[in-house]
Amino acid sequence: MELVSLRNVGFTYAYGDKPALTDISLTIEPGLLYGVVGLNASGKSTLCSVIRGIIPHFHHGELTGEVRIMGKDLLDWDPAELSKSIGYVFQNPFTQISGVKETVFEEIALGLENLGIEREEMIERVTVVVRELGLEALIRKNPNELSGGQRQKVAFASIIAMDADFIIIDEPTSQLDPDASEAVFGIIRQLKERGKSIILVEHKIDLMAEYADRIIVMKGGQVVMEGPARDVLVSDGLGDAGVPYPEVTELAFALARAGKPLSSVPITRAEAAQLVSDRIKEAPHAHSAL
Amino acid sequence: MKHKKGFSALMRSYGRLTIFMIPIGIATNFIGGQIAILLKLPMYLDSIGTILVGALCGGLPGALVGTISNLINSITSPTLAPYATLSILFGFLAGWLSKHGVFKSLWKTLLASIPFALIGSILGGLITIWVFGGLGGSGGALIVGALVAAGMDLNAAVFTAAIPMDFLDKIPTVLVVFLILKRIPTRLFVKLPLGYVYLNKAKTTSTTSAVNPVDDEDDELALG
Amino acid sequence: MGSSTVHELDQDFINSFRSPATAGNRIRDLNPISFAIIMLSCSVTAIALPGPAGPAAICLLFAVLSVAAGLAKTFLPLYGKLFAVVGLILFVLRAAFLPGNHILWTVGPISISAEGIIQGLNFSLVVMAVCGAVTFFFAVTPMKNLMLALEQRGVTPRATYIILASFQAITDLGKNTKVVMDAQKSRGIETEGGMVRRTTAFLPILAPVFLAAMSQTEERALALDARAFNSRNRHSHLVSLRPVSSAEIIVVCAVALGAVLSIVGAVFIWN
Repeated sequence: MELVSLRNVGFTYAYGDKPALTDISLTIEPGLLYGVVGLNASGKSTLCSVIRGIIPHFHHGELTGEVRIMGKDLLDWDPAELSKSIGYVFQNPFTQISGVKETVFEEIALGLENLGIEREEMIERVTVVVRELGLEALIRKNPNELSGGQRQKVAFASIIAMDADFIIIDEPTSQLDPDASEAVFGIIRQLKERGKSIILVEHKIDLMAEYADRIIVMKGGQVVMEGPARDVLVSDGLGDAGVPYPEVTELAFALARAGKPLSSVPITRAEAAQLVSDRIKEAPHAHSAL
Repeated sequence: MKHKKGFSALMRSYGRLTIFMIPIGIATNFIGGQIAILLKLPMYLDSIGTILVGALCGGLPGALVGTISNLINSITSPTLAPYATLSILFGFLAGWLSKHGVFKSLWKTLLASIPFALIGSILGGLITIWVFGGLGGSGGALIVGALVAAGMDLNAAVFTAAIPMDFLDKIPTVLVVFLILKRIPTRLFVKLPLGYVYLNKAKTTSTTSAVNPVDDEDDELALG
Repeated sequence: MGSSTVHELDQDFINSFRSPATAGNRIRDLNPISFAIIMLSCSVTAIALPGPAGPAAICLLFAVLSVAAGLAKTFLPLYGKLFAVVGLILFVLRAAFLPGNHILWTVGPISISAEGIIQGLNFSLVVMAVCGAVTFFFAVTPMKNLMLALEQRGVTPRATYIILASFQAITDLGKNTKVVMDAQKSRGIETEGGMVRRTTAFLPILAPVFLAAMSQTEERALALDARAFNSRNRHSHLVSLRPVSSAEIIVVCAVALGAVLSIVGAVFIWN
């Protein structure tokens, strides 16, 4: 069964001048990582809000079309149930710390307390997440005094501890330095390996190429493309939406323009390295081939 | 707060943001007072959060902001606790005035300083008389003492000392409230219980920032 | 992940959640509700007992208890300050202005009477005893324990959230105020000089701090919702408080009885 299906969905925020989403039809299958790309204000976050039920339960406005989440119409969902079924990690590390807990360990347990989980199970689950995300050194620290990167890890840990099968991650690294971003992507990789269904909004297209199974391209409130990452990231549609190509894909395009195309167009560094090394080997005069 | 369901349901009926505005209102009361001290201003300016939340979310949330602020202060200065009554009234008054559009116009806002200052000085004075026999435990009591020493009746001295102090405090207070309300973006007004009061005006001058609230969040206001 | 430095998991800390929270001191380990009743009873007793000795004894009791609780270092300076400022003003003004027949001495319009001194002493000591009960209660009881105790008594987590989040908001907004203040100073906004000038500096400092905090409420609401804050399940608690012992109940009842007896005394015997 599909996880989410949208049919001709449109949304206009209350007091908005024009629709934030227009005529979106989309199906999200379980167990995959969907990357959402597009320029600022192209509707990425709004789309996430619809899928998570924040629209129309929290952001008011005019929602048209049909949204089904796990087979049930969005409007029939109890918002509190929805927040248990779909995890959500945001971009701002500072607003995701509750501000009411004095240690990271207690902070991570907050969601479990709200779910009414028994103490022993709670300790167990928090401990497991702390180990998985390598937060051992932080558990006694005050979450309100951590750096942005540390807070974002704690935010992930808090959501992962709640163990939803479907997690929406909205620009988790936009306010982090490269090291912290790397760590966050490590966490996302772990989630993917565990078979979670993930929707990830992210500007860093090279990282997207590494991890996404499928890519959704948005422009002006519409989904202009949706398909396997391999197809989308080398397509004209991506460029038309104003989204940059992965570095190695650009390189392959440049080679093609120079009349020396690679045998296929790579989207990740590993592929590119392989293709280039193949080219070097097969070329009769290695020094002149490239 | 004993009636669990009651409080939860009540907070829900105020929309989901009100519960998050209350701590901010409380903190605003505190930092307002601290900035006034840092700038060496001869006024308290410690009820701005109460009035702002009252104006944005309604009288009851405003009263809660005032009460909790006062109780937190009372932890270290317990003699302030009886004056929580004032904060409660400030909150309710702010909600009522806001509902009637008072904070949308500058001159009405300035007039609103009169009821605030009168509540502050007259009810405040009455509390001083009832609880502390007219001679409270704050610096203001020294002024009262000086007036009595100069031959004034004790009760008259309490009010004579309080009324000018309160006007000096409440005029800048409501002015700051007015100016801050003018700077609140549409996307936030939409979700606050009394936001509709301010939106009629805002809608005609509607800016593009209202188009897409969520994608727009990384604006210049995003402080750490 | 964590390949650079591997940290040992602090098992002692994790295990500490498996048993009730303790501060390692009998007074501080009292249930917050029990302790609140004890402090309330002490206040009532101080008001009812004949002054100035009665309320003075209660004030002294708090000082002794703070030593027993190992909190003398934090509580006594605070309490001393209350005495030195509030208590002294309350006393001096009464001593100076309350009328009486036994005038001790007269300075200009002020005539100090024996009655004024006694009344001033009585009143200020009663106020100090009540103040002592409040400040000692909060010196002993961490706010989060009080909130936990209230939640166990059925107070909604929404209410306790508001209180705890307020303290954090005061810290956070205070930090932001410093940042904004420095920024505005470097932009040339005068924070020194004449009164009018200093007053006009107020808004450019407060407004950005308030508006920034306000613009984050939306995300805070959503982030907390993602942590099942709005779930209607019965909430559980990672931290537990010590169960109330029968000895504790006896102490609470004894102190409360003392308060009742002192009221009876005030009505029928010494007033």
